[in-house]
Amino acid sequence: MTRVRVIGCGNLDAGDDAAGLLAVREARPRLEEIRGVEVVESGAALNVVHLLDDLSAAVVVDAVRTPGGGRDPGEIVRAEAGPEGLPAELRTSLSSHGLGLAEAIGIAAALERAPRVVFLGVEALDATAGHPLSPAVAAAVPELVEQVVREATLLAGPSAPVA
Amino acid sequence: MTHRSVEVPVIARVEGEGALHLSVSDHEIVDLRLEIYEPPRFFEAFLAGRHFSEVPDIVPRICGICPVAYQMSAIHGLELLFGVEVPGGTRELRRLLYCGEWIESHVLHVFLLAAPDFLGFDNAIEMAKVAPDLVKTALEMKRVGNDLMAAIGGREIHPVSPRVGGFSKAPRRRDLEAFLPRLEWALGEMPGIADFVAGLSSPSLPRPTEMVSLVHPDEYPMNEGSLGSTTGRSFDASTFEEVTREVHVEHSNALHSEMIDKGTPYFVGPLARVNLNADRLTPVARDCMDRTGLSLPQADPFFSMAARVVETAVAIEESIRLIRGYEPPEPPMAEVKPRAGRAMWVTEAPRGILYHRYDVDDDGRILEAKIVPPTSQNLRHMEEDLRLFVPDVLDSSDEDLTRMCEMVVRNYDPCISCATHFLRLDIKRT
Repeated sequence: MTRVRVIGCGNLDAGDDAAGLLAVREARPRLEEIRGVEVVESGAALNVVHLLDDLSAAVVVDAVRTPGGGRDPGEIVRAEAGPEGLPAELRTSLSSHGLGLAEAIGIAAALERAPRVVFLGVEALDATAGHPLSPAVAAAVPELVEQVVREATLLAGPSAPVA
Repeated sequence: MTHRSVEVPVIARVEGEGALHLSVSDHEIVDLRLEIYEPPRFFEAFLAGRHFSEVPDIVPRICGICPVAYQMSAIHGLELLFGVEVPGGTRELRRLLYCGEWIESHVLHVFLLAAPDFLGFDNAIEMAKVAPDLVKTALEMKRVGNDLMAAIGGREIHPVSPRVGGFSKAPRRRDLEAFLPRLEWALGEMPGIADFVAGLSSPSLPRPTEMVSLVHPDEYPMNEGSLGSTTGRSFDASTFEEVTREVHVEHSNALHSEMIDKGTPYFVGPLARVNLNADRLTPVARDCMDRTGLSLPQADPFFSMAARVVETAVAIEESIRLIRGYEPPEPPMAEVKPRAGRAMWVTEAPRGILYHRYDVDDDGRILEAKIVPPTSQNLRHMEEDLRLFVPDVLDSSDEDLTRMCEMVVRNYDPCISCATHFLRLDIKRT
């Protein structure tokens, strides 16, 4: 049974918005070694609502852009969704499809069907279609991969082999 | 002279980013400019030099909400140019795939983007707290559409099976039949949804306009048809660029579409389709239309939400019909031999007509691509709506004014409506 789902969000054609998807893609072989962990690459953030059903926990990975700045490009942010969804400062995540990821998690929380959700974000600089990852964000992806694996391992429980 | 400038934090979305610049002096609009940045410009350049067989994998990446529309306009156009005869059953399977996209997109818009506006909620999260059953129903209906797309397209986001020539793999009959109970349930929800939408209080903006959509003699149009308009215009996709054009607007990075002969804007989308194809509505769709109070002809853009409900019913009823009659295409794909020339096609994306044109060489390489998405076709029409709408609400606070302007623009279900609060309002009051 899937207990922990790792969900990568973003858009591979849109500069830094690819970071979350790329990190999950890179972590996939190690994640699939962990019992009870499933990996999903989900472009459309609103589908995250469905992906949160019947789970004990989820790790959601996406690029974010903090309104008003305050974070440097490439900075990794970790947050846990509460009854109101994601913390307010993260509600303008960079999800590029449908409703934003923050709204998706917020809706799941409002409907009382969200499991424990750990969100890992990386601060984006440029999400222009056709642009590559900006250097600061590209440099952060390996650390994001490590954090994704660590969170999934912890959430999967003590019986899960450490990847 | 007092001068006030307000910045609403921008939310970047790859489908586009919206900004409204508004200057007001003595309760008169001095300047009103709506800017939306459209992504296909990058993809048009990206497509040049690619082999035609790559096109169905590239174009769906333009939009996460309507990838099927992008695939279908491209595939149909290239097949016409190459003279491909697709295997029997392909046409029906493509229509079924498109139905999935209409269901998913329309339900997303009606319930999660538009309804919170009309009910006075800040966003769908607030609405989910107060009306959880409504939101659960919406999510389940949306999921039927998404799952149908995944079952046929091979993957939920950016379907991979549609090819020039057919499908790389056709779904099994029993896998599609498994959708019938869910679709029957969704259809049963439709009259109640129509009643719900009828009960929403909506602004009214009746105005003279020209609406354009595909028309088809036998079916409610999605993949195929000629183009018609509510002023009696009739033309084919192959003359699309002779009838309409995109013009660079001085103030904006975006292009505005207009009719070449009159220089006037036009309006595409569900309301245009319902107006021009009312005779082809399915039975439950017709009942939904009566329930929503949508009477024809109807030029008030705020009836678009009712039109989306009507079309959701069309897509569900068509899905049921198509699945009951489904025979997997065998073989799933026809052989394709490229030839040089110009491919042109229009299909009906959930938000309106989507035109693709490809100039192709003998080897099937794309020399030039042109994509005219529905949002850019509606842009000038949206701006005109705002000019009509804003004077009556100018005395509102900046916050309320932003919300009301968002409602006017969101009504078109533009790609930017994806953001719950998408509009950066730059208002100067003097």
